[in-house]
Amino acid sequence: MNAFGLSSLLVGLSSLSMAIFLAIKGQGKKLNNIWTAYSLGVAIWAFGGLKLSTIHDNPNDAFLWWQLTYIGIIFLPTLFLHFVCTFLDIKRRLLIILSYISCFIFLFYDLFSKNLFIGNVKFLFSQFYWVNPPGPLLYLFIFASIYGLIIYSHYELYAAYRKTHDMRKRMQITYFFIGAALGWGGGFLCFLPCFGVYIYPFGNFGVFFYPLLMGYAIVRHQLMDIEVIIKKTLVFAGLLAAVSAMLVLPTLVIQEFISQSAGLGDRVAGLILSSILIIFSLRKIENFLINVTDKYLFQKKYDYKELLKTFTSEVLTVLDLNRLVKLTVNKLSDIIKLQSCGVFLLNEDKNEYNLMASQGIKEKNMVLKIDNTLASFLARTKTCLSVSAHIKEYKMPEKIIEDMNRLKLELAIPLATSQGGMMGILTLGKKKSDEEYTQDDMDILLPLARTLAIALSNAEMFEELGKTQAEAAQREKMAVIGTLSAGINHEICNPLGIARGQCEVFILNMKDGLYKNKTPDELLEKAQKIMEKVIHETDRATAITKRLSSFAKPSKGLVSHDIDIKEEIDEVLALVGYELKLDKIDIIKEIGENLSLISGDKKQLQEIFFNLLRNAAQAIKERGRIVIKARETGGKVFIDIEDTGHGIPEDKLGQIFNPFYTTKEPGKGTGLGLFIVRQVVEKNGGKISVKSKVGDGTVFTLEFPASAKKVSA
Amino acid sequence: MAVDDELEFIEMLKEYFELRGYEIHVASKAVQGIELINNKNPDIAILDLKMPGISGDEILGLLKSKQPKTKVIFVTAFDDAGKTKARMLNAGAYAYLDKPLNSLKVLEDVISKAYSGKSLKEDL
Repeated sequence: MNAFGLSSLLVGLSSLSMAIFLAIKGQGKKLNNIWTAYSLGVAIWAFGGLKLSTIHDNPNDAFLWWQLTYIGIIFLPTLFLHFVCTFLDIKRRLLIILSYISCFIFLFYDLFSKNLFIGNVKFLFSQFYWVNPPGPLLYLFIFASIYGLIIYSHYELYAAYRKTHDMRKRMQITYFFIGAALGWGGGFLCFLPCFGVYIYPFGNFGVFFYPLLMGYAIVRHQLMDIEVIIKKTLVFAGLLAAVSAMLVLPTLVIQEFISQSAGLGDRVAGLILSSILIIFSLRKIENFLINVTDKYLFQKKYDYKELLKTFTSEVLTVLDLNRLVKLTVNKLSDIIKLQSCGVFLLNEDKNEYNLMASQGIKEKNMVLKIDNTLASFLARTKTCLSVSAHIKEYKMPEKIIEDMNRLKLELAIPLATSQGGMMGILTLGKKKSDEEYTQDDMDILLPLARTLAIALSNAEMFEELGKTQAEAAQREKMAVIGTLSAGINHEICNPLGIARGQCEVFILNMKDGLYKNKTPDELLEKAQKIMEKVIHETDRATAITKRLSSFAKPSKGLVSHDIDIKEEIDEVLALVGYELKLDKIDIIKEIGENLSLISGDKKQLQEIFFNLLRNAAQAIKERGRIVIKARETGGKVFIDIEDTGHGIPEDKLGQIFNPFYTTKEPGKGTGLGLFIVRQVVEKNGGKISVKSKVGDGTVFTLEFPASAKKVSA
Repeated sequence: MAVDDELEFIEMLKEYFELRGYEIHVASKAVQGIELINNKNPDIAILDLKMPGISGDEILGLLKSKQPKTKVIFVTAFDDAGKTKARMLNAGAYAYLDKPLNSLKVLEDVISKAYSGKSLKEDL
C-alpha cells in the first residue's frame, strides 16, 4: 500500500463511522441527514481511492474505479453548500436545486460517457492511475462545483462569522471553517495532478482530520443536534485508524527499505510485524483513546440515578440550613462535575441574595441585590435561565447575560417558595467537560431545584423554631430571675448595707464626739478594720452580681469538653441556695469522687440544674429536702435531683415535658420550664427521665456521656 | 434587741446604739432571738424578715402573744413590691425598713419615736 492508499483508508474509515453514527443517532434532523450523506460521499471517494491505489497495471479497471469514485465526489460540493446554508439558516434554494440538478447531469455523464467526464487515466508517481487529462465536463465540474461552490460556501461561513455576536455560533463556525478548509484544502491538492501539476496527493491526509474536527465541534459546541454518543464513534474511528496504520505501515516500511519488489515474503513479514504491534498495543490504544475523549470531550457522563439517590437520601433530609446548602453544592459539583456551583439565599432584612455556599467561585461573599436585573428577572419569571437557551431558543436582556457571564453561570435556577416568592437561586457553572446542558439535565435539575426549595424552607423554619425556642428559654430564665429577687436582694443589699453602715457609724461617732477618749492610733486601727470590712462586703456583692449577669446572658452555644458537674452545681447553688434555705429546704449534695468530666455548654447545663432545683423547691410546700446526687456507671454520668415535694401523679408524668403543660396556678408558670430543660439536655447529648410518687417526691435523673477526662483532684 | 443572720450587721447596730446609751442585745440565730424575747422583754425588737429557721410572720406572732408591748421594727432586704410590708404592718409591726438603710439615723429616729410612744403613722 502506498501513502495515498493509507490516507484514503483513514479518511474512508473515519468518514464512514461518522456517517453511520449520524444516521443512527442524528434523530432524523435535516442538518444531521445532510452531513450523513456528505460523510457517505467522502467515504465513497476514500474507498474508491483506496482501491485505485492498488491498481498498477490495468487502465480499464482504473477507469471503472474512477467512475465509481466520482459518484461520491460529484455530490460533495452541493451537499456541502446545502449543509452550510442550512447550518447558517440562509436561503439559497435556487442555487441548491440547480446544484443538485447539475450533480445528476454530471453523474449521468460520469457513468455513461467514455470521454466527456472522466476522460483519460494515466499511471502517476509509479503508484496508481490518476485522471489525466480530464474530460471537458469534469473540468467544468472541478472548477464550477469543487472550486466554485466550496469557495462560495466558505465565503458564506466567513460572512456569517462576521455578522454574528453569538459566541457559541462563532465557535461552531470557526471549527467548521477550519475543518472544512483543511479537508477541502487537502482535497483541492488531489485534483492538481489531473491538470499536469504533479504534486503527490498527500493533501488527502488533511481530509482525515476533517471528520475528527467535525466530531469535536459536534460534541463540544453542539454543531449538530446530536447526543454525545458520538464519543464512541470517535474512539472506534481512532482505533480503526490506528490499527489500519499499524497494519499498513510496517509493510510499507519493509517494502521501501528492505526490498524494492513487492514480493509475497515482504508482505508476510510486514503482516507478522503488524500483528505483533497490534496485539501488544490494541488495548493500550483503546484505553488511551477512551481517556483522551473522556478528558477532553466528556467528563464521564453523570448518573442521574446517583444524583437522585444522593439528594433524596443524603441532602434533602438535612435540617441544618448551612449544612444543607453546602451539601447541595458539593454533591451537585461532584456528581454533575461542574466547574462551579453556588446557592444564593435571600436575606430579607438586607433585601439581598447572599452566596451561602459555593464551589469554584472565587468571590466567597458574593451578594446579589434584590433589584439586580438577574435576581429580579428570576424572581419575576420563576423560570430557569440558561445561557445556551438564550442562544438557541429565546433572547434575554443583554444585562442578564452580562451578569451571568460575570458570575460565570451557565444556568440560574430560581428556588421558588410555595408562597410564590423566591427564596434563593441555585447557580450552575459550566460542566467540566464543557458540554452544554441538555434537556435531560434540565428534566432532572428543575424538579431537583423545586425539592431543594422545599427542603430549604423546612430548614429555615426549623432554624426559626430553634430561635423561637431559644428566645422562650431566655424569657423563662428572665422570669425565673425575677422570682429570685429575695435571695438576690439579700445577697446584694446586705453587703451594701453593712459596708455603708460601717462607714456611717464611724463618721457619726466622730461627729457626735463618741471617740473622744480614743488615741489617734486606736482610731486609725478602727478605720482600717472598717475599710477591710467594706472591701469584704463589696466583694461579696460583686461576686453575686457577676454570677447573676453571667447566668442571665443568653447562651452562646459554646461547647466545652471539660465540664465538672460539681462546679456547675455549686455555681447554681450559689444563686439559688440562699433562697432555698429561706424556704426551709435542706440541700444535700452526694457527689461521687473521681467523676468524669462531660461535654456540653456550661451555661446551658447551669440552666438545666437551675430549672430542676427551682422546680424541686416549688414542689416542696413546707419544710423539705433536696438531694443532689452524681454518680458514674458505664461511661455515663448520672445526676439525680430528688425532692421531698408533693410528687406528680402517674397519669400526669407523661405530660410534664410537653410545652405549656403546667400544674401551677394560672400566671405562675409558663409551662415551658421542663420542656426547655429537655430540649437543652438533648441538645447537650444527654437524656432526662423522671420518677415520682405522690406524697413522697420526685426524682429527675439526668444522663450525660462521660468524656475521657477525669476531674483533676 | 436585734436579730439578724448577718452578724456584721447586728454588730454594727450594737456598736452604734450602745455608744448612744441604748441597752441592746443581739442574736444571729432564730433560736437565740426567741431566747432574748423570752428573757429580756425588750422594748423594741429589730428583726430581719427572712432568717433561716423562722419566718417574719412566726416571730411577729410570737412577740405579739408573749410580749405584746414590744414594738417590732423590721429591717430587711426582702422585697416583693410592698406586699409583705403591708401585711407585717397590718399584723402589728411598728415599722418596716428596707435594707440597705439610707442612714442609721433613719433607724435611730424610728427607735426614738417608738420610745416616745408615738405612732409612726401619726407622725408621717
